[in-house]
Amino acid sequence: MSELLRVTNITAGYGDGPAILDGAHLTVEPGKVHCIIGPNGAGKSTLLKAICGMLTIRKGDVVFKGERLNGLRPDQILRKGICFVPQERALFPKMTVRENLRMGGFILDDARELERRIEAILERFPILRERADQHAGTMSGGQQQTLAMARTLIIKPAIVMLDEPSLGLAPKIVQEMFDIMKMMSAEGVTVLLVEQNATMGLKNSDWGVVLDLGKTLFEGPATNVLSDPRIQELYLGGKKAA
Amino acid sequence: MSEIIQVTILGLALGGVIALMGSGLSLVFGVMRIVNLAHPSLIIAGAYVTYWGFKLWGVDPIVMLPVASLIMAAIGVLIYRLMFAREAKSARYSEMTVLLTFALAMMVEGLLGGLFTNTQRVTSPDYATAAFFIGDVFVPKGQLYAGIVSIVIIASLSLFLKYSRLGYAIRATTQNRDAAELLGVNVNFISVLAFAIGIGLAGAAGSLVSFVFSFFPAKQWEWIAMLMSVVVLGGMGSILGTVIAAFSLSIIAAFVGTWVGATWSTMTFFLALFVILLVRPQGLFGEKPELA
Repeated sequence: MSELLRVTNITAGYGDGPAILDGAHLTVEPGKVHCIIGPNGAGKSTLLKAICGMLTIRKGDVVFKGERLNGLRPDQILRKGICFVPQERALFPKMTVRENLRMGGFILDDARELERRIEAILERFPILRERADQHAGTMSGGQQQTLAMARTLIIKPAIVMLDEPSLGLAPKIVQEMFDIMKMMSAEGVTVLLVEQNATMGLKNSDWGVVLDLGKTLFEGPATNVLSDPRIQELYLGGKKAA
Repeated sequence: MSEIIQVTILGLALGGVIALMGSGLSLVFGVMRIVNLAHPSLIIAGAYVTYWGFKLWGVDPIVMLPVASLIMAAIGVLIYRLMFAREAKSARYSEMTVLLTFALAMMVEGLLGGLFTNTQRVTSPDYATAAFFIGDVFVPKGQLYAGIVSIVIIASLSLFLKYSRLGYAIRATTQNRDAAELLGVNVNFISVLAFAIGIGLAGAAGSLVSFVFSFFPAKQWEWIAMLMSVVVLGGMGSILGTVIAAFSLSIIAAFVGTWVGATWSTMTFFLALFVILLVRPQGLFGEKPELA
């Protein structure tokens, strides 16, 4: 199996506090959608934060394309090609949509190329073109999430990590978010997703990872995770996914 | 009618300088959440740099402005590295900075007092005491020049923040520090840069203040209340808000000084601070505080 990112038995937590992750591991294959599921407090978001450098890894390794990422800052990890969209979407509320997209390409040195990529994004997401001069903070939740996801594409990343993109959105809008995610994947972007709606997340993914109490309990094809009776019982609401 | 025009002009001219004095304070709070109580003492330090340049070598205070700015910006980098960099991740960072900058203000005042005594100083270029006359209305040249230079500096700062790559990074860090970091901004560097710019603005304000007001080290206590009123009314962290608040309060203070009495003029700022905190604590352009 070719791998893009490998997380090996990492321990991490916030500041000097207790370890939230203790023995989490993960393998990410290029071009696929990976969904991390688990109960509240399992360490799903913490795992993404540890990978992107927001938390210090106390033990274990994060290796991307053969290079160890431990100890790098978030901006350095982004330059390697790993983008993270946290739950709160990380937008700049008093910047316009266009300015937010410009910030998405902050690490690009060629200003003309950046403007060209922004135009391409606006072409692909008409709702963002309509709102290009509107402050991000005044848009609806779905539009903000669209902007947050579209913004990651500016730098043509290798991996996009999404922390609960469906949080607080209406069901119709949630499906739109999953459609955007699939479009990213179809274009060769690898997606690492944390999703509270585990069944829906897994149905839209290729690979599933089950995390509990900071440890990885299982990882494998999403269909296997969905059909495993024990996982269904413990993490998917106790019913066989339709 | 001419009295109203006269007082308005005096208020406007002073408003520009006060806006410049407050803009550095606002920028530093916006980006780093540092409530810099030492800002006025650093303005006074900038005024001393300008004063000695004028006194020893006869350099015009406006010509000294870039020199004072650069010296104060360099001191700003040093202060940030020594006092704030290590505490940046503390949960109580903002509260701690109040105490740290209060201590800094005392130290700067003590140092300046020890070096230059508490004698009142003022630089006196020819234009500081000259005026233009338009009919019955006079426009003091010193205040007018200081006001114009202040507006030019603030406009340049605004253009820098609005259009430059570093300006984008500073604005982004102000609005969402974590998000800026996730998009590749080195927020530690941006914090140092913004602090240096903020203290550089204090140096610039010091140069202008040196011929508009008399100054001495302990003058900072009068100015901190005035600047806090301006920054709080504008909305902590909003430079546009600071400018609007500075002009509004300066004009009101000028009218109070003329019609009620000079001693009540400063009270305008204190009263404004009190009313703003009661009625609209987030100020004109600030964020509404979230409930914990």
